[in-house]
Amino acid sequence: MIAINGLVKQYGLNPVLRGVNLNVAEGEFVTLVGPNGAGKSTLMGIVATLLRPTAGEVRVGGWQLPEQADRVRSHIGLVSHHSLLYRDMTAAENLSFFARLYRLPDAEARVATALRKVGLFARQRDPVGTFSRGMIQRLTIARATLHEPDVLLLDEPYTGLDQEATGLLDVLLREESARGRTILMITHDLAHGLGLADRLAILHGGRIAREVTRSEISPAAVYDLYAEVTM
Amino acid sequence: MKEFWAAVWAVVWKDLRIEGRTRQTISVMVMFSLATIIMFNFALGMAANINLAAGRSVSPALLWAIVLLAAILGLNRSLALDRENQVFDAMLIAPVPRTALYAGKVISITLFTLLLDAILVVLFTVFFNQPYYLPMVMLILALGTIGYIAVGVLITSMTIQSRTREVLLPVLLLPVSLPLVLPAAMATTTYIASAMRGEASWEMIQSPVLLVIAYDLLMIAVGFLTYRFVVES
Repeated sequence: MIAINGLVKQYGLNPVLRGVNLNVAEGEFVTLVGPNGAGKSTLMGIVATLLRPTAGEVRVGGWQLPEQADRVRSHIGLVSHHSLLYRDMTAAENLSFFARLYRLPDAEARVATALRKVGLFARQRDPVGTFSRGMIQRLTIARATLHEPDVLLLDEPYTGLDQEATGLLDVLLREESARGRTILMITHDLAHGLGLADRLAILHGGRIAREVTRSEISPAAVYDLYAEVTM
Repeated sequence: MKEFWAAVWAVVWKDLRIEGRTRQTISVMVMFSLATIIMFNFALGMAANINLAAGRSVSPALLWAIVLLAAILGLNRSLALDRENQVFDAMLIAPVPRTALYAGKVISITLFTLLLDAILVVLFTVFFNQPYYLPMVMLILALGTIGYIAVGVLITSMTIQSRTREVLLPVLLLPVSLPLVLPAAMATTTYIASAMRGEASWEMIQSPVLLVIAYDLLMIAVGFLTYRFVVES
């Protein structure tokens, strides 16, 4: 579903990605970890069609980026540590706005269903600015999945969440994965990332330095592996 | 085309919704305008009827200065809202043409500024006792506003991520809008002065108004052609 070959991204003369190769199969959940400045968010920005690659090949659902970005956009949903929501609009208004942008049929019913799914139907008329961080992140998931994307991109979705909100987000992500969505997640939490994913990839020095499947490594051993790769 | 206008309307609907709830953009623009008018009214001695002629002769220029500066406040506020919490990224990954996002922003901020124009027409008519309510004057104001916001959205989109955006925007926008403001202010001054003498006619302001229309069309075209390069990296 996501095929990245020899991806290079430079900002001026500064190379951030130096030939990334990564494949994510349909329905697979892959977690991408790496130290600060490794280029994780840049990689996510390119797959999300927000950034243009300098060189290399990136395909999402078979469509090439950036040439076929318009085709890719209706098949991806993005969740980041920013809410990507308007604080001054209500939960329902935010989702309605994106339903209009995606030209979704039965927008009102879809919005109601999405709000019920994340447990925010009762708060639909409240401005997002009055929500807790956990509620905002659940609404962000509802926004990102409103158009039923095939691919869900998660850029550090656990940032700023307390334990209860983290648990709720885990449940939501497992549900999304069980629905067959392809998920690519960036996180700093190694054990957590491995616990949810089918596969863990470590980005270091602008390249994928190591990939392991969940069955190949225990949560305890993943820290040693990470330290070994990123030293 | 239907999809394009659906996206444009979505952006306009969203901006009107937010403004309807917060009233932050319009109120800031109106407060700034009101304070400036009162300040100039006293500075020019209009309140005491000391220097009525001087005040009247500069009032069209003052009107345009207020519109330009108040619109900068509106532009900054409206586009900063889209950057808050990175919502603009979510708009960029939606399957809509960038030109629809541009057109939506131009329409919504133009609507806010036209509302300000209407308020200014009333205030200037009252404070300066001149016929700013004439349809031709309002048409010049509307045409000038459209061109100014068309180029303003483009330049604000470039400067909005900068920490010095409050300084950068007027420094870049005001010189670029000179070819618009000069004929617009000239047409306003000429028409108001002629109307006071009972001699106002379309022929007197035809050339500057056509220049304003040409600027509008040019800047809208430039916006449509370049906006995607401004918002993508």
